[in-house]
Amino acid sequence: VYGRVFGVAVVGVRGSVITVEAHVGRGLPSLTLTGLPGAGVQDARERVRPAVESSGLEWPLRRVVVNLSPAGVRKDGPGFDLPIALGVLAAAAQVPAGPLASYAFAGELSLKGELIPVPGVLAVAIAAAEAGIQGVVVPEGNAAEAELVEGLEVVGAPTLRAVVDLLKGLWRPAPLRRPPADGDPGPQAGMDFSDVRGQGVARRALEIAAAGGHNVLMMGPPGAGKTMLARRLSTILPGMTRQEALEVTRLHSVAGVLSGGGLVRARPFRAPHQSVSMPGLLGGGSGFLRPGEVSLAHNGVLFLDEVTEFRRDALEGLRQPLEDGRVVVTRAVGAVEFPARFTLVAAANPCPCGYEGDLRRACRCPPNRADAYRHRLSGPLLDRLDIRLSVPRLSRAELLGSQDGEASAVIRGRVEEARERQRRRMPEAPWRCNAQMPGSVARDVARLTRDAERTLSQAVDGMALSGRGFDRAVRVARTIADLRGHERVEADDMAEALTYRTPWQVGEAAKAG
Amino acid sequence: VSGASHSPGDGSHRTIECVPAEPEPTRERGSWPLLRRPGDLRRELGARRGREGIDDAERALAWPAGFCASPEDRHALLVLLCLSTLTPRRLLGLAAMEGSAASCLEAVRRGRDASVRDQELARSIDPRDMARRLERGGAGLVAVHDPGYPPELLDLFDPPAGLLVRGHPLGLLEPRVAIVGARNCSAAGSEIAASLARALARAGVTVVSGGARGIDAAAHRGALDAGGTTLAVLGSGIDVDYPRGNRVLLAEIAAEGAVVSEYPPGIPAEPFRFPARNRVVAALSVGVVVVEGRTGSGSMITADHALDLGREVFAVPGPITSELGEVPLALIRDGATLLRGPDDLLGDLGLSLPAPGGARSRARGRGGPPAAHLSPGESDRDAGSPPQDLSQVESVVWGALQAPTPPDHIAARTGIGLPEVMSALFQLEVRRLVRAVGGRYERRLGHERG
Repeated sequence: VYGRVFGVAVVGVRGSVITVEAHVGRGLPSLTLTGLPGAGVQDARERVRPAVESSGLEWPLRRVVVNLSPAGVRKDGPGFDLPIALGVLAAAAQVPAGPLASYAFAGELSLKGELIPVPGVLAVAIAAAEAGIQGVVVPEGNAAEAELVEGLEVVGAPTLRAVVDLLKGLWRPAPLRRPPADGDPGPQAGMDFSDVRGQGVARRALEIAAAGGHNVLMMGPPGAGKTMLARRLSTILPGMTRQEALEVTRLHSVAGVLSGGGLVRARPFRAPHQSVSMPGLLGGGSGFLRPGEVSLAHNGVLFLDEVTEFRRDALEGLRQPLEDGRVVVTRAVGAVEFPARFTLVAAANPCPCGYEGDLRRACRCPPNRADAYRHRLSGPLLDRLDIRLSVPRLSRAELLGSQDGEASAVIRGRVEEARERQRRRMPEAPWRCNAQMPGSVARDVARLTRDAERTLSQAVDGMALSGRGFDRAVRVARTIADLRGHERVEADDMAEALTYRTPWQVGEAAKAG
Repeated sequence: VSGASHSPGDGSHRTIECVPAEPEPTRERGSWPLLRRPGDLRRELGARRGREGIDDAERALAWPAGFCASPEDRHALLVLLCLSTLTPRRLLGLAAMEGSAASCLEAVRRGRDASVRDQELARSIDPRDMARRLERGGAGLVAVHDPGYPPELLDLFDPPAGLLVRGHPLGLLEPRVAIVGARNCSAAGSEIAASLARALARAGVTVVSGGARGIDAAAHRGALDAGGTTLAVLGSGIDVDYPRGNRVLLAEIAAEGAVVSEYPPGIPAEPFRFPARNRVVAALSVGVVVVEGRTGSGSMITADHALDLGREVFAVPGPITSELGEVPLALIRDGATLLRGPDDLLGDLGLSLPAPGGARSRARGRGGPPAAHLSPGESDRDAGSPPQDLSQVESVVWGALQAPTPPDHIAARTGIGLPEVMSALFQLEVRRLVRAVGGRYERRLGHERG
């Protein structure tokens, strides 16, 4: 009359083990769910009985109560179908209670009794391992993902029937097909920097961005190649450590965007559309809190094309992840934290019509509209964009006269060296790369030569460099010096850094003209 | 040939000497000689716009002597200037019949010469109220026949009956040369406008423009920077700062020169007022310089008026591939004087830069620019000659900048590494030898660096 099974609820990216209790008692046939089930779990009520009956098992025609405990945690997602069904079957004595206790279960059931893959299985497996449970039983399609957790027995089952047979000792899963070593090839498969013709300055600027973790603003007319360049940034970022890859996989698993299963090895590249909502970009949503695009871009690249067309509140919301590398979504049910440390690449036309500064087409925007357009990016957000460059639309002659670019692998080699130098210089520092150096210490940490100081003060006098522009230039110069292997920031490094500061707002250029 | 060759304000120029002697009456339209003088153009443009039919009697229409004699008349004029359908030409006709401004206002209120809405408006505005508003805004009215009324305005076919002035009397701001052009100008255009304005200001000329953005703002700013005087003609009410972004600039112009408008306080900026404003810009100036403009733009209208009025027209050529070069190039093709820089302009106007220290610049509170800025040699260096004391890499990079070029192309062409090219470009930029425009670098002209 009583059964007990482990399931896992996923809140944010963390799972917590839930005990699913079932009781079969006297009364009219019914199924009652208690213990703060979310809308997705409530759904299970109607699905479980047909699934059980289709599997050649018997549904107890009595009053059934299922309780999810602890009752304080909101349970959401379709993964509770399987533990609920098993709890009821255990209460009806159709499965042995002994082996049940050594597994946590997750999976959605079809009416026919098949197990359907669910999102968040990696988080389930991690939680189960942390709780000391011996193994997990998950849908076949999720097995590879759960396998990523070391020291956990993973059973990928095709149907509810197979799970019951497993518990009875009548069925063993076929040995798992190991996921291919490369895992998910990622969205950048087949892309390489050598595809880009011309745009040497943008290539160089992105190399610097990759080496120092700097965020980039690219301005240029339509068709200049901004998107093409941005997509290739993740191909020159250093490879991810296993820990980083696991973080990414877990986030993608929770969001249900994991394709093919297995570890995500390529750095993510996310390019949300301008119409993205605030929860879509930053995470959240009603009911189940999903990671947003910023978290899906964790350890990778977030590309905002036509950045001025994004909703203002969504853009302002980027400030927290840009600052802290995480997003905290607070709802009535509690606060959830998602990691979100990414390189931001923003692209924009220089003005509403897109042709300001173009050689062949003149800009036709009324000046006040051009101003309003540029004011759509707030100062604090601009402040986080260390590198700002103009990407010109090349004429045919310029394109033909351009050299092909270096391959991504070559550039990545230099980037990895530069990152290594950063780590060696400041092993104890709380920041991981130059871009994260706080402005207050940047100048001391960067170690400028006397000549570099002089170059910097020239820019302050001659180009009306602001205090914030100053910090940005120092950070970028430090990265350039790291790329060149300079111990201290030399005058040349500083001078080059100062060229990647194309003014965005009219005011910024006031005294430059 | 009716006096076309000795038009007012054309100060004797070389253009005239170059004109081939050709009997004008026999010339057919369409078969123009290569070189023409402004007068020819004026007639041609007049014909194009259907002005040839105006008979002398109508042209001779003048403001009656007692039009604005009493204070009541002056207050009434303020109301009349608010009525957009009572055009200056209509007002002139009405004044010829009614005599004084006060009687004109009475006539309009009774239902003459303006739209029903404007008649209504004329009835609702209290003239005294308007006068008080004007005073509060620190502006004054200069009516026709007033000693301060610029007589040049009477050259117009439709002279304004009065001008509202904020700042210094116009009599102190002479001679005047206008610099006009596109609002949406290029970086080079605004630098050229500013450098022309600086040169004019140092030579003691008041720079006239429309107070708009782009070339206009650059011209005003240039004149102010050189410690000179400048005059903005608004297309909105005298107290309406339009565009709002130029509020600070307009305040400075009023402090150092004057802001004038045909329109009383509170009149909003509306599209049809700007062409009307342009005729005042042209009339107040002895010459008009067009820096950049697209076909059909306000710069073309100002130049047309200038030709009509016999003012000298100058144009700074732009590339034929750029839309912004359209108006200046069309004007040059029609015979306007081509400017290569401030020296050309000063030479053509018969002016020269005063010796350092002797500038007719007002003593400005914050002190004038350093004397070095005033040296005539500033603009002597032409764009082609390489600047001195560059490092080897810098001079190679400078040499490669024949046209706007992306830095990676400079690197490819010279064999210097891109990082080194970028550093060199920064050094050149900070010394104001080059500038970045949309991802390419280009040389600055020698005279833009003052």
